[in-house]
This record gives sequence, structure tokens and C-alpha cells, in this order.
Amino acid sequence: MTELTSSGIPGLDKVLFGGFPKGSPIILEGAPGTGKTTLGLQFLYNGIIEQGEPGLYITFEELPEQLYRDMKAFGWDLRALERQNQLRILCLSPEVLLEEMMEPGGLFERVVEEIGCKRIVIDSLNMFQYSTETEGKHRQTIYLLRNTLRKFSLTSLFIREQTYLDPTIIPFGHYVVDGVIRLSLQKQYENYRKRTLEVLKMRGCKIMEGEHIYRLTDNGIHLIPARSMVEDFSINDQLTRISTGLPRLDQVLGGGVKGGSVFLLDTNSRANYRHLIASLMSNRILAGENALFLLSSLASIESFDHMLKRFDVRLEDWVKDNKAYFIEYFNRPVPSGFESNVINVSDLDNKQYYDKLRSELGPVIGESMKRGEKWCMFYDLNTVFSERGKDFVMKFFSEEAAKARSAGLTIFALCNFAELDYEAAAFLERTSNGVIRTWVDGNYQYIQITKSPEGRMSEPLLVENIENRPFIRLV
Amino acid sequence: MKKTNQLALQTECTWFFQQNPFAYETAKGLSVRLGRKTEHLLPILEELVSLSIIEKIGDGEGALFHYNEPVIIGGNGEDATWNSV
Repeated sequence: MTELTSSGIPGLDKVLFGGFPKGSPIILEGAPGTGKTTLGLQFLYNGIIEQGEPGLYITFEELPEQLYRDMKAFGWDLRALERQNQLRILCLSPEVLLEEMMEPGGLFERVVEEIGCKRIVIDSLNMFQYSTETEGKHRQTIYLLRNTLRKFSLTSLFIREQTYLDPTIIPFGHYVVDGVIRLSLQKQYENYRKRTLEVLKMRGCKIMEGEHIYRLTDNGIHLIPARSMVEDFSINDQLTRISTGLPRLDQVLGGGVKGGSVFLLDTNSRANYRHLIASLMSNRILAGENALFLLSSLASIESFDHMLKRFDVRLEDWVKDNKAYFIEYFNRPVPSGFESNVINVSDLDNKQYYDKLRSELGPVIGESMKRGEKWCMFYDLNTVFSERGKDFVMKFFSEEAAKARSAGLTIFALCNFAELDYEAAAFLERTSNGVIRTWVDGNYQYIQITKSPEGRMSEPLLVENIENRPFIRLV
Repeated sequence: MKKTNQLALQTECTWFFQQNPFAYETAKGLSVRLGRKTEHLLPILEELVSLSIIEKIGDGEGALFHYNEPVIIGGNGEDATWNSV
């Protein structure tokens, strides 16, 4: 297993799931003003202070005196660390560095030994390009650098000014190093800019994909990993979590879905969500919860019965024990044995509908909860939207969600955000504790948690069909 | 070069090395750093080497010059070594 060392940048270790691989050469690239030098020196400074790993900064252009001065703004006394023999800021030319690196007992070896160097920053790689005559020689130089630093097991950052304008061109250096980190400055809203960090490559390590915003604070660079949100403490922690049946979702949700939470399943028309719903519902049913299904034109009792059988849930058994109920919007034939547990709400106006649910379902759920039983519900919001209208949903759903939370009832509400107006979508998202989105892009389907009670979001996960339960794997 | 200019250049070089104690420069490299001609710097650098203010590693064009930081017993502040001198 790769040994990791803290990057020294708050937040970055989370993105790297622990830190930089020890002894690895990594390119740190970015446009001027993105904070490459600060990040490089923070990596060394905190490496010394927090990890006890002495470091070496090699600068070809910037004078050390400038760095000593600039870094004092973050409270880093680099000269003091030099006096303690834990840091060196070497100022020399690229040619001299190469010469001294190849010289047995040369300056480079002496400094590395003198301070017991474990980390190094070279500022910058571009200077080698200017000092070598041909592309071939430049490549040779990069190999030489990489191999020498590996030989000394130094965790290395090569700073590179991002000068190439064509983003499709991958610089040669990217192929030979173990990691590539890119800093960018991007426009945000009208008048602001945001600084982002993206790990493009980290050989042998797991990374959090995507761009992560960082800020230059009084203590240096502070990175906020993307998809970090504030944890929702409104859900009672005492209530048990039940697995979603999908390990990747459970990972983000801290083990599963907490009882009493309301999750929206946002899906577009091309995405197949049946296995996801079947997995969510069957895991709760098998854990002993009672189930309520608000059916849609596409999801009938038969289709649920068929789907859940594949997950080892026989709905007829649950109906027999009065542990499963169905709200039916359409005048469809009811399978034999299910009749007593189907509440038909077709041809009812909103008031009649509301009253019927209260009078028929209220006592059933109320009595059952008194016995300490838990409930989960599949709620086809698309059907309620089309049959009852937006105003009804916005009033009724928020009421249901509030009641569900207090009663420990877990709701999975299916909804297509793309078909809603902004106000309705924002309202539903606010009302819910979690949002799981699934969509099809090109030839692939994705699933992403965009809101969760734990305050975490997932990256867009690819959906792969598999032979066995739960019939999909999230990658 | 006049004597006064030589002294000014000597001070400039000393100041540079004192401020950047881990700079390792050739005369040519230093000329870029300081914006001075190499032929003016070479005799100054040799003079500073003879005074043990800086050290010379190697010979010829590739010779490196770097600061010979004075060791002062009891110095602990940032500028203690220099101020004490």
C-alpha cells in the first residue's frame, strides 16, 4: 500500500484521501497569481512543523529574500527554520542545479544530507525548458530530475507556469510524474473570481474528482473539498440507518438512509431508476419496515411485485400482514389478495383525496407506529403533480415531509426536476433531506447524491448493470 | 572602474549574499541577478572570497559563489549574526 504524507494544505488531504504518496514527483501547475509558490512553501513549512520532514526549496527566478518577506504575511518564519537546519531556500540557475545533481558529493547531495531532506519544491520546470536547446534535451532533463529525486525518496513538487493555451495538449512532464495538480483562477458571478484546485492525476491513489475551491487566508492556502455541505442535524441520530443496498451510496450517506428522512429521486425520462428504487425499498422492507406505495401510471402493483421479488421481497406476504399499502390513482385491476390494502383515489378532487388518505391511512399508520413499527414510502411526485397540480403538491408535500420526519417515516419521492419550474424544484429540494439524481448522458447513466443529511455529496457515479442483486453497480 | 564604484559594487554583492544566504551563483548568474557586467563582478567576487565573506566552489566560468555565514556563538535572532558583527 502506498505510504502517504500530509500535503500540509488544509482540505487537500481529504481530496487525496490522506495526502501525497511519499517520495513521489508531482507537478503543480497554474497561471500566474494562482498561489503556486505559496502552496509549495506551505507544503514545506507544514511538512517541517507538523510532520518533522525537512524541506528544500529551489528557486531559479524569485530571490529567497522576497520569499522570506512574502511568507511572513502567513506567519511563516522561513529564516528561523533555515537556522534550525530544517529548511533551505536555494537560489541557483537550472544549469547549476543539474550539474550539481549529477556531481557525486555535489551541492545537491550535500544539502539533502545536511538537513535530512524529505520534501523538495522546484520553482519552476519552465526554466529548464528555456535553458535546454531542444525538446529532446528537455525531456531528458525532466527524466533526470525525476529519477534523481526518486533516488533520494523525496516527495517533490515541480512548479510549472501554465503557458500552453491549447488545453487539449498534454505536456510531456505529465506523463513522467506521479501526480499533476492544477490551480486555476476562474470567473465567478459577475464581479468575482474563484480559485480552484484540481488533482488531474495521482498514481496509485484514490482522489476526489473535480475542481475544489481554495482561499488564501492569513494562514496560507485553505481548500474546501467540493460537495461539502453543512450537516443536517434535524434528523434524529438515534434513528437507525438502513443500507440503500448500493455500497457507494452508503459510503456517502454514512452507512445508509436514516429513518425519518425525505429523499428526492430526481430522474429524467431516459434514466432507468427501477433498480435504484427497488434496492432502496427492499432493503427497508427486509429490515422490517412497513411499506406504502403511491403508484404511478408506469409503476403498478404488478410491476412493484415483480421488481421486489427479484430482491427477495414477496409483497403478498406483507399485504397479508397489513404491512404494505398502495395508493392507486388509476382504475386498474387489482391483483388478487391485494384488494383490501389498495386505496383508490381516482376521480377524487383534492379535498376528497386529502380526506380519504387521512381517514383510511391515518389510523393504519398511527396504530402501527404506536406498536413501534417503522414505515417507508415510495411517493411518485410526478403523478401527484400531474393529477393534483403544483399548489397542492407544495402544500401537501411539505406537510407530509414534516409529519414523516417527526414520525420516523422514510420517504423516497420520485420526481423529474426538469419538468418543474424553478420555484417548485427549489421548494422540493429545500423540503427534502436528501436528493439523489440519475440521468443519461450519451451512452452512460449516472447517479449522484447532490444533497444528504450528512452534508456530503458524491461525484457523478457511473451506473453499470450487473447480473446479481442489486443489478446495478455504481462506479 | 573607479575605487568608489568598486566599493559600491562590493557592498551590493555582500548585501545580496547576506540577504540570500543559500544562493549559489556563477559570476554570470550573479550579473543577471544584480544587473551588473560579469567583468566588473569577477574581481569584486575574488576580493570577497579573499576576505572570507563568500566562498568559491570550483574554477573557471562554472565556479559558484555563495555566502560564508559568520558563526556567532549566542546569536539567536534573525539578524543576530550580522548585527553582532
